[in-house]
Amino acid sequence: MRRVSGIFDISYVQDITIFRTKYYAAGMILLILFFLILPVFGANDFWLAFITTTAITVIALQGLNILAGYCGQISVGHTAFMAVGAYTSTILAAQFGLSLWICMPIGGLGAALIGLLFGLPSLRVKGYYLALTTIAAQYLIIYMIKTPFPEVTGGAIALKVPELKLGSFVFQEEIHFYYFVMIMLIIMTFLAKSLMRSHFGRTFVAIRDNDIASEAMGISLYKYKLLAFFIGCFYAGIAGSIWAAYARVISPDDFTLSQSIWYLGMLIIGGVGSTLGPFFGAIFIGVLREICVVAGPVVSSLIPQIGAQISASLVEMTFGIVIILFLVFEPRGISHRWEILKESYRLWPFSY
Amino acid sequence: MITFFQLLISGLSVGFIYGLIAVGFVLIFKSSQIFNFAQGEMVMFGAFLVWSFLNMGIPPVLALIIVVVLVGLAGYGLERFPLRAMIGQPIMATIMITMGIAVFLKGLALLIWSNNIGIQYPAIVTEKTVSIMGIPISNVTMGIFLFGLILVILLSLFFNYSRTGLHMRAAAESHQLAQSMGIKVTQAIAQSWAIAAIVATVGGFLLGYIRGIDIGLIEIGLIAIAAALVGGLESFKGAVLGGLIMGVAQTFTGGYIGYGLKEVVPFLIMVLVLIFKPYGLFGLVKIERV
Repeated sequence: MRRVSGIFDISYVQDITIFRTKYYAAGMILLILFFLILPVFGANDFWLAFITTTAITVIALQGLNILAGYCGQISVGHTAFMAVGAYTSTILAAQFGLSLWICMPIGGLGAALIGLLFGLPSLRVKGYYLALTTIAAQYLIIYMIKTPFPEVTGGAIALKVPELKLGSFVFQEEIHFYYFVMIMLIIMTFLAKSLMRSHFGRTFVAIRDNDIASEAMGISLYKYKLLAFFIGCFYAGIAGSIWAAYARVISPDDFTLSQSIWYLGMLIIGGVGSTLGPFFGAIFIGVLREICVVAGPVVSSLIPQIGAQISASLVEMTFGIVIILFLVFEPRGISHRWEILKESYRLWPFSY
Repeated sequence: MITFFQLLISGLSVGFIYGLIAVGFVLIFKSSQIFNFAQGEMVMFGAFLVWSFLNMGIPPVLALIIVVVLVGLAGYGLERFPLRAMIGQPIMATIMITMGIAVFLKGLALLIWSNNIGIQYPAIVTEKTVSIMGIPISNVTMGIFLFGLILVILLSLFFNYSRTGLHMRAAAESHQLAQSMGIKVTQAIAQSWAIAAIVATVGGFLLGYIRGIDIGLIEIGLIAIAAALVGGLESFKGAVLGGLIMGVAQTFTGGYIGYGLKEVVPFLIMVLVLIFKPYGLFGLVKIERV
């Protein structure tokens, strides 16, 4: 990776810094400011809702990125862990009257603990086998929500979530959640970025690149693989409980296997193993999905004899094609393209 | 006791189809080391395709032959794009490419057939019940059994004795090594995808004949993957045995415990097997070196 000319790292602290130059920091502050004042410029509820859901997705994706992107432990059951977080926080809040603010971190911890349980096979198997274990996690967790304790979890029917309150202030409108989710997004992204700059992040990358070699170098796979599961699923749990507070109703059908596959796809499209990747992936797929939903009725009015679920099928088909195209032509995702773009900007007018 | 045997028989017959689909899955894994998560979608798509041809009034045998040729060609084409680009890519990419195919197939099926809900094949044979040692067995079940058995034996012979089958196994061992011995790796992979697609379609047809055709057939494919894993990924007999275990486990939990658990019990078995015996019943234990 090419860096800004004339800026050299002469100490380790400099090497791991987030903002290498003051322009980086200024740009980041401007970007955050832009999103904070966006509602003031009359962005309507549709866009606020779109940004909010995308931001929740990004939080979940950051966790998946730590788990699958940095540590290489592919999880195809990420939404199931979101479901654990959502249900834990909702049940605690609804049945025990705890404040949602306390329930959210507990929901994250609950998801993380369940994640540890399903991370256990990762000590013996990896790659495909692990992916299958996480698929099993998806089915088993949703089963546990649906069937054995319907009086607690609401079974297959939707569960109502208590209101999110801050003192006497009740989070009701889109704009309230917008600010709440944005702040959470900034915190969680900063944590993820910091974690990956630290000793943990480099250990995870070592495990991803070759776990046996890293074990031979003294890294405890037992500890770090489980830690990756813990952190990744904690993110999922947090995202799930935020989603629950935002959506106000949760049901097991919100957390399906295909949703988990979408998350992995977003990660691939955005760029695996980069903090920016989840942002690009979630935004790209979010926009694509909206386009398909709009295009569905148009297509079905042109060709009336095709099936009733035209929007759903269009969304799935484009998503499949986009994943395949990205994997074949740009496996490093949009964030790699972004790096190239930055590089050619720096080298301009002599970029190559 | 009679219910026990009835459950056993129906479990074995469903399990045999799981086994068949698992065989297709093992086939792809053996020849290309790609884990085909689209197996369930291929099963579902094949079942719908057969139904469409039958619906046009084409006689069953001819329809089946047409569909087998079509999906065989499609499987062959899949190798050219996108799977050829996946040779030597990391595992995450190969997982996601088959998932991409899976999502696409599901979308395509929704696009074409989402108006056809609750469809079934027209009865091809008249169902009769034969009694063997006091246990009633339908001739459809027996037919599926025989059909599957023949298919598995043929595939085993093919992989152990035919030149093409040996080429595929060599390609599975190491792409580079196989190429240096003059084996066309791309061709071997294409052939195995074609065969796997055909096996999936046949499995989808048989399953659809028993339980009707719908999008839910996808889940069956996932159960078949679990079955393949339980049996060990390198072994055909393991795949069939794994399928039988899954089928019997499902009908027994469905019959004695409850319907909800029936759907997830294969995955429960799979997780337990993965924890305690990661390479399955007949799988090859891999020794890794840095």
